[in-house]
Amino acid sequence: MKAAIFKRNEFYLLLVIAAFSFAITLINPAFLTIENMFDLIRSSSGMTILAIGFFVVLLSGGIDISFPAVAIVAQYISVKSILALGIDDIWLAFAIAIAIGIAFGAANAFFISVFRIPTLIVTLGTMNIFHGAMLEFVGTKAIMVGELPNCFKTFGLTDILSLPRADGTQYGLSVFFLIVVGALLATWVILRFTVMGRVIHAMGGNMEAVKRSGYNIARVQFFIYCYVGFLASIMGIIHVSLISYSVPTYIIDSELLHVIAAVILGGASILGGTGSLTGTILGVIMMTILEKNLVMLGLSSFWQQFFVGLIIVLGVSVTHIQKRIRSRT
Amino acid sequence: MNTKLSTNLTLLAILVVITAVVSLILPGQFLTARNFASMGRQFPEYGLLSLANMLAMVTGGIDLSVTSVMSISGVASSLILSQYPSLPLPAGLVILLGILAALAVSAACGLINGALIAYVRVPAIIATLGTQGLFLGVSIGVTKGHGIGGFPDAFLFIGNGDLGGIPTQFIIFIAVALLVGLLLTRTRQGFYMLMYGSNPLVSRFSGVNNEAVLMRTYLTTGLLAGAASIIVISGVNSIRPGYGSEYLLISVLIAILGGTDPAGGFGTALGLTLGIFILQALQSGLNFLNFSPFFKKFMWGLLLLAVMVFHHFRRLYSQRRAIRRLAAQREPAANGGSV
Repeated sequence: MKAAIFKRNEFYLLLVIAAFSFAITLINPAFLTIENMFDLIRSSSGMTILAIGFFVVLLSGGIDISFPAVAIVAQYISVKSILALGIDDIWLAFAIAIAIGIAFGAANAFFISVFRIPTLIVTLGTMNIFHGAMLEFVGTKAIMVGELPNCFKTFGLTDILSLPRADGTQYGLSVFFLIVVGALLATWVILRFTVMGRVIHAMGGNMEAVKRSGYNIARVQFFIYCYVGFLASIMGIIHVSLISYSVPTYIIDSELLHVIAAVILGGASILGGTGSLTGTILGVIMMTILEKNLVMLGLSSFWQQFFVGLIIVLGVSVTHIQKRIRSRT
Repeated sequence: MNTKLSTNLTLLAILVVITAVVSLILPGQFLTARNFASMGRQFPEYGLLSLANMLAMVTGGIDLSVTSVMSISGVASSLILSQYPSLPLPAGLVILLGILAALAVSAACGLINGALIAYVRVPAIIATLGTQGLFLGVSIGVTKGHGIGGFPDAFLFIGNGDLGGIPTQFIIFIAVALLVGLLLTRTRQGFYMLMYGSNPLVSRFSGVNNEAVLMRTYLTTGLLAGAASIIVISGVNSIRPGYGSEYLLISVLIAILGGTDPAGGFGTALGLTLGIFILQALQSGLNFLNFSPFFKKFMWGLLLLAVMVFHHFRRLYSQRRAIRRLAAQREPAANGGSV
């Protein structure tokens, strides 16, 4: 029964996406082309990876608002290190960023599990510690296209599939897509087939029950927050490869709101225990289409923030009203 | 009953120590009337926002939309105030209208938050995160992202004037803090808020209208943010949507520093005010020592976690003491029988 309800939730989301895409295609036929789809995938892959991580935290009944800070710090330190070492290698860049991301995640988990501080408060604190410390001790200077190591630029332009346009030039599916699929598969396997994943579900459902069953909550929390840090750091590298410059003072605040909106729209509850990866991905697609096409539908770009807020408010209201109706019957 | 006193005594002790240390490091710079006047100008803006978050936390919630409410009500007020040269009204009336507009808009925002939390039952974190975007979005949409400025001279008195050497906004803050303190300790609503924060179910079964309590709570947090917006726009003679977004962290930090329990059920206006003084003394010290804003950001994050860790150990200690006392009471009566 439960599964049927979840299916319905995602089904409606899919319906809304289809209707919206149809409306946009009527106005702009260029929307529903493979080239535009590839483009959307390339530019939204960072957000998708963040959303997957955020979904895992929400599922466990926690919240992590430090991930945009983790992404930007991991990105900037990685770019700086590559510049300093002179080894122009994307693998090394990933390795450095991931090490930072996991370390920050471990710091979050440490405060959450050892001192029992609410997750929102911990990550609100660490977000400022990470970002503030980097700006104070590492640097505040932006690294522009000219200085950026080549490995990022080449990585950002790597395609795994190329198709010819009508005029003979090529367009392709970015390598970012592979990373997204990888992250998605890994998370799916963890949540579905491992004890860890089951415990993450259970923690969001009833923390006390998990404690009484004798699971090591601290270990699971370390895993969750390190995993989010890991995904955030990967997003950091994707982000710099996409835009070809790195601005350390720019913290991806709007990204935070969009990611939360996407995951909540996908049906995950802030109280934990519910939601699905499919819903999360649909939520991301919905947000991406909205973000990129509101202007096309004749809305001034100044109202974009308003619509993102409105979507979150309406999305969560519908989810919670549904839940109340369900619990009444 | 003891926790209230001991929390505030601890805070007072911390404040005295920090003031002493900063005064020793900066002789003749920190303990001056000029510095105190400048501190009195700085904190009321975010002080009012932290009062708002303290009240939300007392009920077990949080209000992440305070800075956006500040933006939107500031914009509403500015739209009226900046028109004063062309309006056929006396300046006093325009100012009154401007202030009323800010308060009305902030009250409406508070009621929207309250309705989402009380009736739709969206958790406060997510509801106010959504409205944070919504309210800021409206202010950006209305102003097209530009600032609005140029207010009647008399209006600027709120954010720049002083009464007998004491900054106006400082007096406003103290008055509002007193009112909030009275609300929590002397009114039925305050008692219900504390009860709801401790245990919503007990509160409901005691015949309390939980929804009405939450509505009034978020109406109050909205109004506090509206009051903050009046001080802000008067202080800088303009409004820019998004101004003061960094106050959100500080307001949460101060509420927690002031001994408020983010899980609900405990918070005092006096503790919060002491928390503000501690933060402001630290901030002043850091300013004199020429630290960058980034370092401050780092420090606030660290301070937030340090306070929470401190609370953790204090809670552990008081729990252990309670258990020991209980055991000591039982020993003689039950003749060595243990639980």
